[in-house]
Amino acid sequence: MSAGFNGFGSAYFDGDRPISEEVSLHIANQNLQIGLDDGSTLFWPVKDIRVLQDGADKNSYSLRLITDPLARLFVTDKTLLGYLPNATRRAPPKGRGRLAAWAVAAVAAVALQVTVLVPLLADRLAVFIPPAGERALGEATFEQIRNALDETGMAPLAMCENPAGVRALAQMTAALNAGEGALEGLSVTVLDHEMINAFALPGGFVVIFKGLIDQAKTPDEVAAVLAHEIGHVVSRDPTRHALRSAGSIGILGLLFGDFAGGAAVLFLTERLISATYSQQAETDADTFGYARLEAANVSPAALGTMFERLRDEHGEGNELLNHFLSHPSLGDRIENARAAADATRDYAAILDDAAWADLQAICD
Amino acid sequence: MTDATLTYPASGPEGLPVQFVGKRSALFWLALKTGFLTVITLGFYRFWMKTRLRRWFWSAIRPGGHPMEYVGDPWEKLLGFFIAVVVLTFYIGVVNLMVMFVSFSVFASASVGYLASAIGVIPIWFYARYRARRYVLARTRWRGVRFGLEKGAWGYAWRALMHWAVTILTLGLLWPRMTFALEKYVTDRTYFGSARLHQDGRWTMLYRAAIPIFVSLLILAAGAGWLLWWDPVVVSADITAEGVARSFEEIMDGGVPAFPVVGAERLAIFPLGIMGLLYGAIHYRFASKRLMANHKTSEGISLQSRLSGPRVASIYVLGSFIAYLALLVGIVGLVIFAFVTLGPSAMMDGAFGDFGADVDIPCGMALALVAVFYLSVFLMWNVLYSTFVTFPLMRHMTKTLSLPQRYGLQVISQRDRDEFTEAEGFAEALDLGAAI
Repeated sequence: MSAGFNGFGSAYFDGDRPISEEVSLHIANQNLQIGLDDGSTLFWPVKDIRVLQDGADKNSYSLRLITDPLARLFVTDKTLLGYLPNATRRAPPKGRGRLAAWAVAAVAAVALQVTVLVPLLADRLAVFIPPAGERALGEATFEQIRNALDETGMAPLAMCENPAGVRALAQMTAALNAGEGALEGLSVTVLDHEMINAFALPGGFVVIFKGLIDQAKTPDEVAAVLAHEIGHVVSRDPTRHALRSAGSIGILGLLFGDFAGGAAVLFLTERLISATYSQQAETDADTFGYARLEAANVSPAALGTMFERLRDEHGEGNELLNHFLSHPSLGDRIENARAAADATRDYAAILDDAAWADLQAICD
Repeated sequence: MTDATLTYPASGPEGLPVQFVGKRSALFWLALKTGFLTVITLGFYRFWMKTRLRRWFWSAIRPGGHPMEYVGDPWEKLLGFFIAVVVLTFYIGVVNLMVMFVSFSVFASASVGYLASAIGVIPIWFYARYRARRYVLARTRWRGVRFGLEKGAWGYAWRALMHWAVTILTLGLLWPRMTFALEKYVTDRTYFGSARLHQDGRWTMLYRAAIPIFVSLLILAAGAGWLLWWDPVVVSADITAEGVARSFEEIMDGGVPAFPVVGAERLAIFPLGIMGLLYGAIHYRFASKRLMANHKTSEGISLQSRLSGPRVASIYVLGSFIAYLALLVGIVGLVIFAFVTLGPSAMMDGAFGDFGADVDIPCGMALALVAVFYLSVFLMWNVLYSTFVTFPLMRHMTKTLSLPQRYGLQVISQRDRDEFTEAEGFAEALDLGAAI
C-alpha cells in the first residue's frame, strides 16, 4: 500500500537548526517517507509517529518520532493522520519510582509537621507567651470566628449585650471564678448563634452560643459548661491550639494552592471552633470544672444531666451537638459528672429564677 | 534545500511576521474541560491543565507560520511540586509558628506576625519566579530548537529586593530603572538555541511609557489643590467627614447640601484621575514591554513590537467586564438552583456546613456542597478569564510582534536539555504560577 500527501506548506525541522525544509510526503511499506530538497529521504515507521497534542489549529499539526526527541514534521494535509495507527498513544510517565518516592516524602513531611513538629513546638512555646500576647491572639481569633460565622456577609456575628443578661452572666462567672487561682481578665461572651456550643480562646476569652443557653433547662447546666471552658483557659489549651493552627494554616495553603486556599481556611476556622483537645485535656478540664462547681455549691451532676438529655433528644453522633458529642466517651463523662456530685450535700442553684430568666433573654 | 523564511524579503519593514491561530471557542472548551477535571480531582489535575493550556497557546503562536511548541510534562510538574512541598513545608510551618509566637509575645498583635511572614516569603517569591521562567523557557521550542535561561535565581532575587527598596525609597521615581534592570537580567541570560539574547537601550527610555501615570498624578494633585485650597468646593469653617457625606447624599438626591457648596461638579476630577491612574498602570506595564522588546537583539536577529497601550487597556476592561458578568449570571443561576433543590433553610443555615437546628442534610454533605460551589465559582472565573482576557491579550501581543532582521537564524544550532528536576514546583507551591 502506498499513498502520497500534499506537502504544500509542510516543513521538516531537523532538531538542530531553526530552518524549515520543504518536503514531499509518501507512505509506503509502513514507513512515512519524507523527501527533502537535497534528494535525501527520511524513513519514519508509521507506528512510531505521534501527533503533538492540544494544537490550537485544526488545519495543521506537528508530528514527532518516538525515537528522536528533537526532529519535528509540520503537516498541513489532514488525510495523513488516518495512516498513523498510534498517533495519539501516550508515553508512559518516566521515573515512576522517583515520583512515588517524592510523593511519599511530601506526604510524610507534611504529616510530620502537622502532627508532630508543630504541636510539639506549639506546646513548648505556649507557656512563654505573656498575658498581653495571649490576649491579642485571643482577640484576633475571636474576630475571625465572628466574621466566619456571620451569614449575612455584612457585619461580624452579633454579641449579646442585654444589660440584665450580662449582669446575670457576670454573677455566674464570678461565682465560678472565685477563691484561690481565680483568673485575671476572664471575659465571657454570648454570641447570637443557634449552635449548641461553647469554646475557649487564648487570653481568657470564653464564648457561649445562644443555642446552648436555649437548650439548658437550668442555669446550673450553663454553669457546668462554663466551668469546663474555664478549665481549658487555665491550662492554656486554646493558646496551644491557636499556635498549632498558625503553623498548620500555611502548610495547608501550600498544599492546595490558590485553587482551594480559601476552602482550607474555612475548614480550619471550623476546626478551631470545634477544637478537639486531647482526651487528657478534656478530662482535666472536666475535673477542674467539678471542683469549681463544688466551690460554688453547684452540683457537678448538671453537666451529666445536660449531656444525657441532649443525647436522648438528638441521638449520639448527631451533628447538632458537634462539639460535646464529638468528645470521646460521652457515656463516661456523664458517669463521671454524676460521680463527682456529693449525694449527701445540699446544692443550690447558681442563679435565682429572676437572674436565670435574664440570662435566657441576653440576646433579646 | 530552501528556507520558507527566505521567500520573504530578507529585512523588510514588516520582517518575519508572527501569526496567531486558534479559536476562542476551542480555548473555552479546553479550559472548561481541564478545569472541571481539576475540580473533581481536588486540584491534582491542575498540572495537566496548565500543561495543556500552555500547549494550546504555544501552538497558536506562529512566528513565520511555524508553531511554537511547549514540551513541559505534567508528571515532572507534579514531581517538582512534591519536592517544593518537602522543602517549603518546614519553612512555612515552623517559621510561621515562630514568627507568630514572637509577634504575640513581643508586639502583642497578630499583624506584625502576618507582615513578617509575608516579608519572609518575598525573596523566595522572586527566586521562584525566575525558576519558573527558566523552566518554561527550557520547555519551549520553535522549529525544533530549544529556548533556555541560564541559572541565576538567587542573583535575580537579591537584585529584585534591592531595586524594590530603591524604588520605594524614591517614591516610585526610579521604577523604570527597576523594570529595565530586572528585564535586562533575564533577557541577557536567555537563549534561543545557541544564540544569546541582549537587552539594549537605556532605562530612561521607559519614562515615555510612564507618561499617562505622571499626567494622572499631576491631574489628581492639581485637582486636590484647586478643590481644597485655592477655590474650595465646601465653603465652611468646620468640615467633618459626616457633614461631607451628608452633603454628598443631599446633592445626589437633588436637594440642598448642608454645607454651602460651590461648583460641586468639579469633584468629578477625582474619579477621572483615578481611572487615568489605572489606565496608566496598564499602559506602563505593556508599553515598557514594547519598548524593551524593540531593543532586544541577538546576532542577526531583531524584534519589533507594535503593541498598543489603549488596545491592551480595552482588552483588560472589556474582558474583565464580560468575565464578571458571565460569572455573576452563573452564580445567580447556581443559587436559584440550590434554592429550589435544597430549600431556603438549607441556604441560610447550611452556609457554614453544619450547625443550624433545622437542617436535615448531614454536616459532611453540606460542607461538600459549599466546597463544590466555591470551587465551581473559582473554576468558572479561571475559564472566563482565560477566554476573555488571556486569549485576546496573547493574540494582540503576538500579532503586533515581528522579526525585522532574521538572517541570524541560519547560524543557530540546538542547545542542550536543561533537566531541571523540580520544574516550577516552588512557584506552584507559592501560588505565583497561576498565570499561563
